[in-house]
Amino acid sequence: MKVLDRKLLRELRSTGFLLLAVGSIMAIGVSAYNALGSAYRNLTIAQRLYYADCRMADFSLDLKKAPLADVAVIAQLPGVVEIRPRIQFFATVDLENVVEPINGIVISMPNERRQVIDDIVLRQGGYFTDRRDNEVILNDAFARANKIYPGMWIHLLLNNRRQELFVVGTAISSEFTYLVGPGSFVPDAKRLGVFYVKQTFAEEVFDFQGACNQVLGRLAPSVRDRPEEVLRRAEILLDSYGVLAAVPLRDQPSNRFLSNEIMGLRAFGVINPAIFLAVAALVLNVLMSRLAEQQRVVVGTLKALGYSRGAIFWHFLKFGLAVGAFSGLAGCALGYWLAGGMTAMYDTFFEFPNLENRFYPDLTVKGLAIGLACGMLGSFHGARQVLQLEPAVAMRPKPPADGGAILLERWPALWRRLSFPARMALRNVFRSRLRTAAGIFAAAMGATLSVDALLLAFETSYMVDFQFELIQRSDIDLTFKDEQSREAWDEARRLPGVDHAEPLFDVSCTFTHGSHSRKGGITGILPGATLMIPRDTEGRPLRIPESGLLLTRKMAQLLHVRVGDEIELRPTKGLRESRRVRVAEIADSFLGVAVYADIHFLSTLMNEELAVTGVQLKVRTDGSYRKDLFREIKQLPAVQAVSVRADIIRSVRETLVQNQHVFIGLLVMFAGVIFFGSVLNSSLVSLQERQREVATLRVLGYGPWQVGSLFLRESVLTNGIGTLVGLPLGYLLNYGIVVAYDTEMFRIPLIDPTQVWFIVIGLGAAFGLAAHLVVQRSIHRMDWLDALKTRE
Amino acid sequence: MLGRSPRRRRRRALAESYSTGNHRRVEPRCLSFDLRPLACCEESNILSQAESRASASSVLLRLENVGKTYHMGEVSVNVLRHVALEIRDRQVLAILGPSGSGKSTLLNIIGGLDSVSEGRVWYRDREMTAFSPRELTTYRREIVGFVFQFYNLVPNLTARENVMVSTEISRRPLDVEEALRLVGLSDRAEHFPSQMSGGEQQRVSIARALAKNPELLLCDEPTGALDYDTGKRVLRLLVDACRKLGKTVVIITHNAAIAQVADHVIRLRSGEIVEAHDNPDPAPPEEITW
Repeated sequence: MKVLDRKLLRELRSTGFLLLAVGSIMAIGVSAYNALGSAYRNLTIAQRLYYADCRMADFSLDLKKAPLADVAVIAQLPGVVEIRPRIQFFATVDLENVVEPINGIVISMPNERRQVIDDIVLRQGGYFTDRRDNEVILNDAFARANKIYPGMWIHLLLNNRRQELFVVGTAISSEFTYLVGPGSFVPDAKRLGVFYVKQTFAEEVFDFQGACNQVLGRLAPSVRDRPEEVLRRAEILLDSYGVLAAVPLRDQPSNRFLSNEIMGLRAFGVINPAIFLAVAALVLNVLMSRLAEQQRVVVGTLKALGYSRGAIFWHFLKFGLAVGAFSGLAGCALGYWLAGGMTAMYDTFFEFPNLENRFYPDLTVKGLAIGLACGMLGSFHGARQVLQLEPAVAMRPKPPADGGAILLERWPALWRRLSFPARMALRNVFRSRLRTAAGIFAAAMGATLSVDALLLAFETSYMVDFQFELIQRSDIDLTFKDEQSREAWDEARRLPGVDHAEPLFDVSCTFTHGSHSRKGGITGILPGATLMIPRDTEGRPLRIPESGLLLTRKMAQLLHVRVGDEIELRPTKGLRESRRVRVAEIADSFLGVAVYADIHFLSTLMNEELAVTGVQLKVRTDGSYRKDLFREIKQLPAVQAVSVRADIIRSVRETLVQNQHVFIGLLVMFAGVIFFGSVLNSSLVSLQERQREVATLRVLGYGPWQVGSLFLRESVLTNGIGTLVGLPLGYLLNYGIVVAYDTEMFRIPLIDPTQVWFIVIGLGAAFGLAAHLVVQRSIHRMDWLDALKTRE
Repeated sequence: MLGRSPRRRRRRALAESYSTGNHRRVEPRCLSFDLRPLACCEESNILSQAESRASASSVLLRLENVGKTYHMGEVSVNVLRHVALEIRDRQVLAILGPSGSGKSTLLNIIGGLDSVSEGRVWYRDREMTAFSPRELTTYRREIVGFVFQFYNLVPNLTARENVMVSTEISRRPLDVEEALRLVGLSDRAEHFPSQMSGGEQQRVSIARALAKNPELLLCDEPTGALDYDTGKRVLRLLVDACRKLGKTVVIITHNAAIAQVADHVIRLRSGEIVEAHDNPDPAPPEEITW
């Protein structure tokens, strides 16, 4: 090993804490790049393979009921490669040992195994046999959650009849990668299952011989990205059978959740590492400039001995490269581990046949290259600084730092009021411009990350509370298969333990305004309803107009309507006659694209007296009724789905919120590394530079704590300014995310950041103080007598 | 040589002239301190063309009307004025002068560390003042060995490694152990500068300079930071480097007594040479006092 390399190694070792501070920031940047990149690829690859395995449908058409012969025309449409008609119904499941009714989606599959669109991948047991007609294949997560195995019998309430089915296997399918039940937005494997039954069995049970109520299709690659035209034509062709929904793949709920997540990973995979690496490069710059300055005599000597400029430049650059290489490697290892954790977390949300954390050599190479580039960038300035010195000048001690007045001193009235230590701190902060800029930038980025992460946590929590505490206040929601009369409401009111019940009337329809059209639904609620209270984003209850519709802002945007405009609505069921209705009010909301109306107004509009498609129940709090209540609900033939609010809230908290806390905790910890690392680096560098000053102060009678307080003032100043700069930046970043996630599915509420700002100020102060303790320790341990003797 | 720039050709020629003449790197060479001067060694083929060309009276360096002016903002300071000087092979030259007389600047110019504002400097028959930065680097690497007042050792390298800093870039280095033995520090080879006394550090510095096997040893106040006895020991080493190893040694000092060991003495004041004389009978370092 060359002797200069030995020097380098020893310097790396002796730089200790400083290097650790810079290295860990850089390593986290690389690990964020690697982890987010790996997770992105893990999901993308798993999605692509899974979709290909299952032959994922490019579109689906939900119909009331259509003869197979008539839907065959869809296959003739240009761009359509293949279609698959099938039968799909909701059902309630009655499991032994489970009190609550469970929701199920029943789907027909060919009697004999063959490849179909939206196919299944068997996990346990096998496909249907010839032995019996009433065989069922369950989705794997449901089977696991409820401990159901092939060979067991289960009971489903299908078309008002209780059916006994024999479990032959468990399976998964790409169309249910992310399976959420009614009223929720996180999966709850225990409460929602998919039941694949034989085609012949489904036809018989649902009375669908030679008919279907759903058409799945695959498109030619050339039209895959623009399925609208095909769907428009298909709707026209099948209009007489009532098209309830025409859904392209990108709007398919499971795919939309998954794709949103993948896109988010890609965006974060750029933003987060960039922040860390920029901070690391700057902080390394400070360290390297100091190192170069410290070694000016060594540099001069090396030049005098005949070392070339290139050799010396390379020697100093190698310092940065070594830091970069080490951080890059550590970052890649940490990144791989984090990607494993993230992928495991995704595995609890998404059901994939084989979601594994793969090792991507190119990502590791790139991560290492990023580390090296960052190290080089960070050391370039310092190394160049060394070269610019003439050898003769380099060997002379550095002239005293420029001691001119700083900007603030131009206002003597202000300046005179400052204490002496404050003036010293201010002068130092203003004079070490690069260091101050790096400190401010690092603190600002730390604050930006923390504000954004905490705001997201608060916003999610707020959204959950808003939805389940303020809007939806019922304990149990029953959804009926078809429209029911007032009796269904009365019957629900008489169920055991029910205190209060309110009817809902949901009408699926197509809204049209000019050239803008959208499928959706209107929810009719009682005027003065207490179990479903639509609210604006401020949380104020919205008055349901006696006539006309109340649109959520997102729906109004999609249809380009304003209050007072008339829109045309055409129900997708029943007589499907168009009606024109006035938009009475527009309100903000976070979830979905709801449209509300007075239930009486809506019933009249649909030519009904009082139609009911669901009932919301408020039940007694003591719980003694539960068994009786659920037993009776399970026996109600009209009930298609049951949702229990407590279960939904539990699953939301268990999965979404809990996982988010881990994610946010990690982000805040990473932000802490930035705060800690930058304060530590800048203070220790400053301490090294000013050893003589510290020694002189000690001679003058300053105690170590008093000296420390001078340094503390400086770091409080830079860290404080940086944090203050970072607060609005974090809010802006959060705003950007909120805008980016403004989808039809949900909107993230923007909340008042004041509370988060205070928390982040506290975090910044805590991490900064922790770093200062290390600096204080160095001050205590400093041999200041020796420093006084030290020749510059 | 096709396609090579004239500057690069020149650099190569310069390097060759410093080296053995058949431009091959020569293995580190062992010497014994009481050997005859290197130039007389029959078996020695490590002598450069330049060295073998040189005779006791040939001129190694020539300064013609050299001036140096520093500009600091609006103020110009003339550090050197009309300096004309010849430095001959294998002599000890002492440059005397008080602080601020321009001694260090003169040494830096001779050593190729600083440029002149006017005048010309010749290394043998080559004009040093026309050297490119790269040629200057090669000059410093092959011809000059520096000994500094404050030793300028690399703090986190041991004594041996500090010497290796020189040998690793030299075309014809001495053996590292031998260089340390020459200065009597074989047993301190593994010590770091912070573990050594000032005198020991200065001896490492001399070993580092000698290890390159340079023609010219430039010493900037080599005894300035040392006590009396140690200073004399260091002087002995430098004089031996000239008398026994055949080096040209330039010592700058403000200590007039030290000039007694030199063959030639010049005195600087306010950037000008005010006196120059030969010293036909130099005193051994052990006999001088200050």
